Amino acid sequence: MNATSRCSLWCFRQRGARAGLLAVSTAFAIGAVSPVFAAPRVHEVVIEGMQFNPATLEVNQGDTVVWTNRDFFPHNATAEDGAFRSNDLEPGQSWRFRADTKGDFPYFCSLHPTMKATLTVK
Amino acid sequence: MNAVVKGLAAIALALLAIPAFAQSTKPNDAQIAAIVVAANQVDIDAGKLAVKHAYDPEVKAFAERMITDHTAVNKQATALVKKLNVTPEENELSKSLKADGAKTLDKLRELKDGQFDRAYIDNEVKYHQAVLEVIDKTLLPNAQNAELKELITKVRPAIEAHLKHAEQLQASLK
Repeated sequence: MNATSRCSLWCFRQRGARAGLLAVSTAFAIGAVSPVFAAPRVHEVVIEGMQFNPATLEVNQGDTVVWTNRDFFPHNATAEDGAFRSNDLEPGQSWRFRADTKGDFPYFCSLHPTMKATLTVK
Repeated sequence: MNAVVKGLAAIALALLAIPAFAQSTKPNDAQIAAIVVAANQVDIDAGKLAVKHAYDPEVKAFAERMITDHTAVNKQATALVKKLNVTPEENELSKSLKADGAKTLDKLRELKDGQFDRAYIDNEVKYHQAVLEVIDKTLLPNAQNAELKELITKVRPAIEAHLKHAEQLQASLK
């Protein structure tokens, strides 16, 4: 194998690698702006003063919602239709839930039924 | 039945007397601490009786909630007075809350099943209304220490939520 043929083979590999890299980075760039490929987000709901804050939360399918209890008392987050139910959260405890199903989910604290809120999954 | 009606009337009168009394007193922080502890303890004791005597499972669950929540408040209150180096000082209001609470328990003990449930929940509605009035007219306007005021401010929404919950049960029991 002479010097020229070695170079052409090496150059071909380099061009191929560059093209591949370009294709991958383009796909990432498209993913970043298209909602179809949006990276899942984490949303916080604080339970304090006998309220869920925010009381209405809209998330994308696949996002995670974290409820944190900042009251003196135990609380939970229970969907009215049974789609989700946290354990009873002691003061300072959190509960994570991945919202995989689209829809409106009114929920409440089953320990304090006057505490109501809604999670919307789009 | 006549005795029951008289008993309930006595409970109602005792509780109605608290807010009127509350407006005329200006307690200091040590007295406020004693009022907070007494107010919670009275509802914990009523809850303990109701857990044993309630007929309706929802009333029983409500009573369990009262025990848990009011115990949590007293835990916070006890930790705070320790931190502030304050000794709770008994006073007319804390004493009358305890005395009225004891009378209420005596009346409730005479009742059974549905009658007990209705009387307990009626009392819980009136009691939480009275405590809200004590908070708004006596405790918050007179509390001097910022942390004590903050504790009472944080507890107020719980009393309000308990009141609404009790009102819902009251409507469902009728």
